[in-house]
Amino acid sequence: MIFFEMAKRNIRLNMLRSFLAAAGIVIGVVAISSMGMLGSSLTLSVTDSLSTVGDSVIIVPVVGQPGQNMVTTESLITDRQLQQIVRVVAPNEAVPIYAGADRIEIGPDKAVAALYGIRPSQIPIMVDIADGIVPRSTSGALAGATLADEYDLKAGSRVKVGNETVRITGILEEQGMGFDINPDNALIVSDRWYSTTYDQDDYDQVIVKVRDINDIDAVKLAVERTLNRRDDEVTVYDTRMILEMIVETFNQISVFTTAIGGISLVVAGVSIFNVQMMSVTERIKEIGIIRSIGTKRFEVMRMFLYEAFILGLIGSGIGGILSFAGGYIAISIMLQDTSYLFNAQTLFYIPYGMGIGLIVTLVSGLYPAWKAANLNPIEALRFE
Amino acid sequence: MEEEVNKPGCAETLPEDAVIRLEQATKVYSLPFGDVVALDKVCVAVMPGEFIAIMGPSGSGKSTLLNLIGSLDVPTSGDLYIDGRDTRTLSDDDLTELRRDSIGFIFQQFNLIPLLTVLENVEYPMILKSRQSVKGNSRARDLLLKVGLTEQMLAHKPKELSGGQQQRVAIARALINDPAILLCDEPTGNLDQTTGRLIMDMLSEVNRRGKTIIMVTHDADVAAYASRTITIVDGKVA
Repeated sequence: MIFFEMAKRNIRLNMLRSFLAAAGIVIGVVAISSMGMLGSSLTLSVTDSLSTVGDSVIIVPVVGQPGQNMVTTESLITDRQLQQIVRVVAPNEAVPIYAGADRIEIGPDKAVAALYGIRPSQIPIMVDIADGIVPRSTSGALAGATLADEYDLKAGSRVKVGNETVRITGILEEQGMGFDINPDNALIVSDRWYSTTYDQDDYDQVIVKVRDINDIDAVKLAVERTLNRRDDEVTVYDTRMILEMIVETFNQISVFTTAIGGISLVVAGVSIFNVQMMSVTERIKEIGIIRSIGTKRFEVMRMFLYEAFILGLIGSGIGGILSFAGGYIAISIMLQDTSYLFNAQTLFYIPYGMGIGLIVTLVSGLYPAWKAANLNPIEALRFE
Repeated sequence: MEEEVNKPGCAETLPEDAVIRLEQATKVYSLPFGDVVALDKVCVAVMPGEFIAIMGPSGSGKSTLLNLIGSLDVPTSGDLYIDGRDTRTLSDDDLTELRRDSIGFIFQQFNLIPLLTVLENVEYPMILKSRQSVKGNSRARDLLLKVGLTEQMLAHKPKELSGGQQQRVAIARALINDPAILLCDEPTGNLDQTTGRLIMDMLSEVNRRGKTIIMVTHDADVAAYASRTITIVDGKVA
C-alpha cells in the first residue's frame, strides 16, 4: 500500500529521530513487562509458600472489651463452647489447640519456640510427620522442620521447655507459612502436657478441617449462629478467604509495579507525539500536494498513523525481546529465584507490555495524524 | 451598462455544455481587519477543449479563481459547476475525488512528492483512484517516456532531476487519470526560457488532443499559447 510505503520511507529518512522515539517505547515496554513479570513471580512464589489449602475454618475468641461480654473476657474458647462447635460442625472434625511460646534449651543452645498443644489423636490431621511417630506419652513432642534443622534435632533428642523436659518423638515435614498454625519453627506437644505445664484449661483456637470444600460456608455459618447468637463470642475465619485476600493483595502490588513501569511508557508516548508533530510540521507542503492531487483526509491520517504504528511495532518488538531479559534480571535480584519466569502467568506480561506499547504509540500518533488530515490544502500548498 | 443590469441572470447566458461554469461566484475572506472580497460575482464559462490563460496583476484574485476551479475551495456565494457537478453541494471527500478524477494540477514549483520515485509519483493518483496496486500497469511508464524522460530516470527521486524534467513528470502525473481539465499555475515560472517553451509546446500538444487547459500566468508570451485570455482585475473579469 502506497501510504504504508510512504510512512516507511519517511521513517527511514529520519532514521536517528525515529530510532530514538522507538527506543523510548522499548524502555517503556521493558519497564512495564519486567515489572509485571516481577509482580507475577512474587504472587506465585507467595501463593506457593502458603501451605494451607483452603480447607480450614479457624475459630478464635473475640477479644472482649472490659465490662462487656463476660464469657469472653479471658479470650479463650471454653469447653462448653468447644462442645457446641463439635456438635454443629459434625461430621467434620474440630481440633482444639493450645498455642503459646516458651524458652527452650537444646544442650547448650537457648532459643524461643512456638508451642502447640494438640490432642495426640488429632495431630495427624494438622501436620505431616516426616520421621518418627506421634508422641505416646505426655512428655513427647514433635519438632518443626526448621527448628529440627537448626538445632540438629532427631527422634530421641531431649529439649528443655521452660522448666520441663520433653523428648522428641518425631520431626515434621516442612509446612510453609500457614493461617492456622505455623509448625516449622515450633514444638508440638500433647494437649495434656500443655494444659498441665501452663495450667490452662481453655483453648486458644479451634480449627475445623472441612472434608468437602463446598461446605466451608455452611460450617462457618453454623458456628457463628450457635456461638454468636446473643453476643459475639468468637470470630470465624476460613483459610480460603484469607488466601484470596493475600493473593488479591499481591495482585494489587503487581498492578502497582506495572503502573510504575507504565509511567515510562507515558514518557515514551510523549516523545512519539513530539516526533509525529515534527513529521507533520516538516511535511506541511507535501500534505498540501497530496491533498490537492486527490488524497482524502482519512488517507492522510492513515499515512501518519502507519508511521506511528511502525515506530510502535519496532519499539514493542525489541521491547518484548528485551523484557524477557529485564524480567529475568528483576526477578533474580528481587526474589533470587527465577523458577517462576517460565510460568504462563508471568510470560503473559511480555505480550501485555507489547500491546500497551503499541496502543500508547497509536494514541500518541492520533492527534498529529488528525492535524495533518485537517490542514487546509491551499494554505499547506503555499507553505514553504 | 445594460450588461451590468442583466448580470444577475448570467446563468442563462452561460452555455449548458461548458466544462466549467462560474455563476456569480463570489469569494470573501474573513480577516481580522475586515472582509476581503477576492472574487466578486464572476461569470465565466469554459468550453471543452479550450486553452484559457488567466492573467492579472498580483492580488487581483486569479489565485482564488484557480483554487475555486481546482475545487480546493468553494465559492462563498454563487455557483460553480465543474464537469457538471455543483461544487457547493459537495463534501470534502467528494471535492477530493473530483480533484483526483477530473482535474490535473501543474504547479510552478512542480510539487512532486519527494519520498516517491519519478515513476511512483506518476502512479500515485492512479493508485488513489483504483485503490489498489498498479503493478504491471505500464500506463505511467508510457506517459513518462512520452513526455521525454528516459528509462533510467524513472527510479530516481524528483530532486535528482532538472526543473524541466520535473515539470514533465508533473505533466505526466496530471494526465495519468485522464482528467477533463488541466490546471496550470505559472507552469514556466521556475524554468528558463528555452525549457519553458518546450513545456508550453507540450501543453499545446496536449490541448490539441482535446484536453481543456486553464493556465494562470503573467507572462504575455506564455499567454499567447492560449486560445482565449481572461483578465482579472480587483476580483472582477475585466
